[in-house]
Amino acid sequence: MFERALNIFWILLGGAAAAYAWTLGLVGPSVPDSGLFPFISALIVMGAGVVLLLRSPVEAAAPDFPRGAALARVLGVAAGLAFMAASIPYLGFAVAGFVTMIILLRAVEKSGWLFSIALAFISVVVVVWLFGQVLGMTLPRGPWGW
Amino acid sequence: MDAVGGLLTGFGVILTPENLYLCFLGSLIGTLVGVLPGVGPLAALALLLPITFTLTPVGGMVMLASIFYGAMYGGSTTSILLNIPGEAASVVTCFDGHQMAKQGRAGAALGIAAIGSFVAGTLGVIVMTFFAPAIAAVAIRFGPPENFALMVLGVICTLYMIGGSLVKGVLMVALGFLTAAIGIDVVNGRERFTFGSIDLSAGIELLAVVIGLFGVTEVLSNVERIVKSTVVTDRIRGLWPTLADWRASWRPMLRGSGLGFFLGLVPGGGPVTASFMSYALEKRISAHPERFGKGAIEGVAGPESANNAAVAGSIIPVLSLGIPGNPVTALLLGALVIQGIQPGPLFIAQRPDLFWGIVASMYVGNVFLLLLNLPLVGLWAQLLRIPYRVLFPIVLLLSVVGTYSANKNVFDLWVMLGFGLLGYVLHKLEYDLAPFVIALVLAPLLEQSLRQSLAMSPDGAMIFLQRPGTALMLTACAVLVALMFRRAKKS
Repeated sequence: MFERALNIFWILLGGAAAAYAWTLGLVGPSVPDSGLFPFISALIVMGAGVVLLLRSPVEAAAPDFPRGAALARVLGVAAGLAFMAASIPYLGFAVAGFVTMIILLRAVEKSGWLFSIALAFISVVVVVWLFGQVLGMTLPRGPWGW
Repeated sequence: MDAVGGLLTGFGVILTPENLYLCFLGSLIGTLVGVLPGVGPLAALALLLPITFTLTPVGGMVMLASIFYGAMYGGSTTSILLNIPGEAASVVTCFDGHQMAKQGRAGAALGIAAIGSFVAGTLGVIVMTFFAPAIAAVAIRFGPPENFALMVLGVICTLYMIGGSLVKGVLMVALGFLTAAIGIDVVNGRERFTFGSIDLSAGIELLAVVIGLFGVTEVLSNVERIVKSTVVTDRIRGLWPTLADWRASWRPMLRGSGLGFFLGLVPGGGPVTASFMSYALEKRISAHPERFGKGAIEGVAGPESANNAAVAGSIIPVLSLGIPGNPVTALLLGALVIQGIQPGPLFIAQRPDLFWGIVASMYVGNVFLLLLNLPLVGLWAQLLRIPYRVLFPIVLLLSVVGTYSANKNVFDLWVMLGFGLLGYVLHKLEYDLAPFVIALVLAPLLEQSLRQSLAMSPDGAMIFLQRPGTALMLTACAVLVALMFRRAKKS
């Protein structure tokens, strides 16, 4: 079911991209225009999607997607990363990273509070020191200047 | 500059305290990456790529290359001691290496793996020393049509070598091309697939895609199951192989070196394919194939040699032609481009310090790795006690830093997360992600070559058949496509 939906998505994506690429122009006065290469690529995506859709009843095996606790762990990691990406502009890297690590360690791995806080603190301090201080990279800062 | 003179130049470049330190550091990190399951060489390279922005191009490339081949050395440790491959190229080492460990011969297995890696790595670099300049000397005569045909051949070879569904591989290549088209068209400045977004107008950042597809995807795949490791706690003894071990291993080592080097050269090949092919070869030609899977030392010596020789082989097309054969070398290519250097036929002539510095560093790095892997094997085994629940949040933290540091743009973090989730789903549905990354890296050059070729041709696409080199390469493509169809029909 899921694979069939994905194959339909490929067809729609390929079709939409090909239509858009067409509007960019395929052939200019002397050279291929901006749309030619993406147009061909999009047609291949669409064609491959059609082939996979026609084959899927025979070939598609049931994908081994996680369920229950395993699914919760995967979603927890994805949510943690999404939180970090969303909060970095407001909290800065250090605070966003610290909070994200605690979320991951507590919610996903069920670690104890003390262990989670200690590991999150040490990890963030080491990363900020290594990348920010030693290697001179600019990491996003919060309103408090770090 | 001849190869020997070039190599001396390379040693002059590498034998400085700073570059030796970076080579050692890369070897150490590579071994660590190889030892720790759940952190592959590609993800590690992507995570550490930003560090190289602060280094000289030579120092940065020396470090990245040594991480790549260091991971091949370290990967055998977990395969032998735990039956868990540290990285994909060491999967086959589990078959006989772990059986040897269970029979109390872990030391001999680890010893022959390290020595085989050293022999193959060194042989590979010796061949590379003479082979890469020869390839570049031929490729320097290439024009846009030849470059186009060569890149098409690279993509077709990649598709030929992938396991699983051919149609899914083709789809991944096309999707890579499509993703690369996002941004501004460098020929006429027109925006493509940006939909008015400033973030998209700069294109999709390669580093964010690679960290997402290989770093985040790997973490998501690992956290869904709780991995409990059982380290072999007995003291590891007898690292030096016996005379009988040597007798049984030297031929597989040489065969593995040759096979691995050749498969490294072929786009789509690389260390993983090399180790599997070497194992299959050793089993097939063995007088006692029934011993394989039950602790045959040839099953360790051959594949471990092959995966290391493949590293040297796979670096040649990147440096001499500018064509990556696997995702790791695609990232190495990306690292050079970020430093403002375009590898290709002119690379050796224009940047002899960099090319020969990398080659010389591989000689030095192999010695470092032998020293790191044999005496310190007990230490590496102890590192396996680090639980994954400690490791994965740190990997994610480094993923964020690595992705952000490329453009200082939070949008790239969303790209990383998106590709991480996409990679996880595609991995579950048995899509091979390697063709996507290779296509993403090759697409700009491929498109440029196509457009230049057609612009210079009065006969349109016929130019690809009128030039002998191009016609030959496209004929090879047609043969490979026919073989792929035949194979697909059979299966």
